[in-house]
Amino acid sequence: MARFAAWRLLQAGIAVFGVMTIVFVIMRFSGDPTLLLVPEGASREHVDALRRELGFDRPVIVQYGAYLADLLRLDFGNSVVQRVPAVDIVAGRIPYTLMLAGGALLIAFGVGVPVGVAMAVWRGRAAERLLAAFVLVGQSMPTFLSGILLILVFGVLLGWLPTSGTGGLSSLVLPSVALGAVSMSTFARMARIAVVDELGKDYVRAGRARGLSAGAVVMRHVLRNAAIPVVTIAALEVGNLLAGAVIVETVFAWPGIGQLAIQSIQSRDFLVVQVIVLFVSLVYVLMSLLADLAYAVLDPRIRLHGA
Amino acid sequence: MLKRALGIALLAVGLAAAPSSAQVSGQGGGQAKQSFVVDLPNDAATLDPHLQWDTDSYTIYRNLFDNLVTRDGAGKIVPQIATAWRYLDDTTIEFDIRSGVTFHDGSPLTAEDVAFSIRRIVDPALKSPQLSQFDQIVSAEASGPAKVTLKTRTPYPALFPQLVKLSIVPKAAVERLGDQAFNLAPVGSGPYKLLSWQKGVQTALAAHEGYWRGKPPFPSVTFRVVPDVATRVADLRTGRADMVRQLGPDEAAAMKGDGQLQVLSVPTERIGYLFVNALAGPTADVRVRRAIAHAVDRSTLIEALLQGFGNPVNIVLTPANFGYVPEVKGYEFDPAKARALLKEAGAEGAALSFLTSPAYDRRLVEAVQQMLQDVGLKVEIVALDHPTFLRRRQGRPDEAGSLSLGRWSCACQDADGVIFPLFRSGGLWSKYSNPAYDAEVDAARRILDEKGRLGHYRRAFEILREDVPGVGLYQDFAIYAARKEVSWTPTPNEAFFVFDVKWGR
Repeated sequence: MARFAAWRLLQAGIAVFGVMTIVFVIMRFSGDPTLLLVPEGASREHVDALRRELGFDRPVIVQYGAYLADLLRLDFGNSVVQRVPAVDIVAGRIPYTLMLAGGALLIAFGVGVPVGVAMAVWRGRAAERLLAAFVLVGQSMPTFLSGILLILVFGVLLGWLPTSGTGGLSSLVLPSVALGAVSMSTFARMARIAVVDELGKDYVRAGRARGLSAGAVVMRHVLRNAAIPVVTIAALEVGNLLAGAVIVETVFAWPGIGQLAIQSIQSRDFLVVQVIVLFVSLVYVLMSLLADLAYAVLDPRIRLHGA
Repeated sequence: MLKRALGIALLAVGLAAAPSSAQVSGQGGGQAKQSFVVDLPNDAATLDPHLQWDTDSYTIYRNLFDNLVTRDGAGKIVPQIATAWRYLDDTTIEFDIRSGVTFHDGSPLTAEDVAFSIRRIVDPALKSPQLSQFDQIVSAEASGPAKVTLKTRTPYPALFPQLVKLSIVPKAAVERLGDQAFNLAPVGSGPYKLLSWQKGVQTALAAHEGYWRGKPPFPSVTFRVVPDVATRVADLRTGRADMVRQLGPDEAAAMKGDGQLQVLSVPTERIGYLFVNALAGPTADVRVRRAIAHAVDRSTLIEALLQGFGNPVNIVLTPANFGYVPEVKGYEFDPAKARALLKEAGAEGAALSFLTSPAYDRRLVEAVQQMLQDVGLKVEIVALDHPTFLRRRQGRPDEAGSLSLGRWSCACQDADGVIFPLFRSGGLWSKYSNPAYDAEVDAARRILDEKGRLGHYRRAFEILREDVPGVGLYQDFAIYAARKEVSWTPTPNEAFFVFDVKWGR
């Protein structure tokens, strides 16, 4: 178990390092921030001087070496735009991202799994078709549209919820719904498939024959067995929710790292982008690791050491 | 039983997701407005006024500071921290510094602070992107208890238009805190002081009691970061924001029916123009450039796409700038003439590349493309991200494309900040070279006499009319929207001082 975890961690470290390097190179070859920083009308001499001061006149390989040397000392550098440590900028946004991802996951899981189970239990009936339509809407409506619709209906017309910003739990509801909708549909479909799969198995019939009610069989036995694929999805969805919140965060003016990533890429604020990439890839890796370990807890048949 | 359990579970989830409380900030009808909320598309990059110069940053930080000089409602340069000034010779100016001004930390503003502020922004060690705007200044000294003497490299007529943007910072506080800490907790002498800066969320300001110009209009002001324009409008409709910046013409037009809101717009010093590469490609032939100037129908662009939020111009400068010469004629819209010119040049069907980036309205780009195709040119739109666009547009002439749109403002309301960088030989943006033109714009930045300068600019614009290295399209409007209780007049230089806002009619 420990060896398995160590091996996975090493793999993860290599993956993260590779991602960092790729992003570093791509960002450097797509222009530097100097031209975006100077006011219109700055002369060639000023642009060149500022570029030299900021160190972007050096060859990419030299910049990369300096960057790695700084990383080894856990120095992630300063934002050239904001003139403060890049780590501080990203760290300030992480709580918002976690809140939003948490809210969205709650909605996705809390709505998606019951809906999926219901669809499995009621399969073939009108109720299933109704729920299927609901799931389809959640899955196919792009968030830039659903976000604006939610704001219009619940913010402007009904006036129940804030239209944007971060003031308290009520501000979290609309962005969580908008972000959670797609994942909700994924959970619903996965839960439906897994439960339908299990319902056809012998132990369900055996349970019913023992006189257990259908509800009791599903609650006590089926759900536990159906949980494995759903947990896998949950782990991957957390990664998606963290990284995929860009549009929702922009529409709802939610100051998470998705919004920050877009702004930093646009302004070529390299070091901030690097920190975000590091954070997101670490989360992805950690989540898939956790999913692997969670299998063991849920299903003792899975043996980890051989993997 | 299972079904009932499921039904209850679904209902519970539905209820949990449903809103629990309504939250709409109240509008203080009648009594004094306590807090004024402004939605901006971006957060300030820095609050140190000597670092970044982008509209959202200075919209916030200029409320924290006073400027050496400022512009009045009519655009005239008038005293602020400097009460008077005189030229000792063509390159030496002496300023009288106002007494009785205090910084937010209680310390008095002195001549030493003014001299320090000027020296700080031109110090290469600060790495200020604004350096290029002040680089004609060679020295600034406190020459008396309330006097500052400033020297420029040469006689420099654009000095005062640039000094409008110079915020005065306290020497002692900057030296004590250091540049990095000062940026996060700036201290100024302006009508508002910083309460908190939640990066990416909002910046809260509180009134500076004892401000020398009088009591600021609101006890507190909040600038919120709301990137999406539809969300800014929703905030305004629900009263979550009192004012929003940067609306598109379409959003502004859609707002006209709402009695609770108002659109505030003003023709600015920002010029919308079409760059035409005079050094490379088919447009190196002046007849092709003239044909392009004849092919573009400004009034259609303004009426159909800008919804009237633009004024047509004949030259690449707006009437809000010094150096605007109304007597220089433009090119009238005349497709037949354009076709004839192309035929004469043998350029029918010539392929032009039209570089653009997300910073420019795609519909304008496509409309201009259509107009040029209509007279027989082949125009290919090359969409780039903005840094790449800038690198190519400012790079070698053969890589800069034949055409691109521009929306230019020097925030100085002077022709020197517009046509000098755009068309002077050797400039980053210039893809044009004419020694006669260079001589005129060079001369205009070396004399202080306004009449003489206007003469140079008139001749410069006459040369540009012949050579067409760019086509002036429209004077851009700044568009804001606000609750109807707000009374404020936007300015051509896109400045926003909360001190000038009044609440209630």
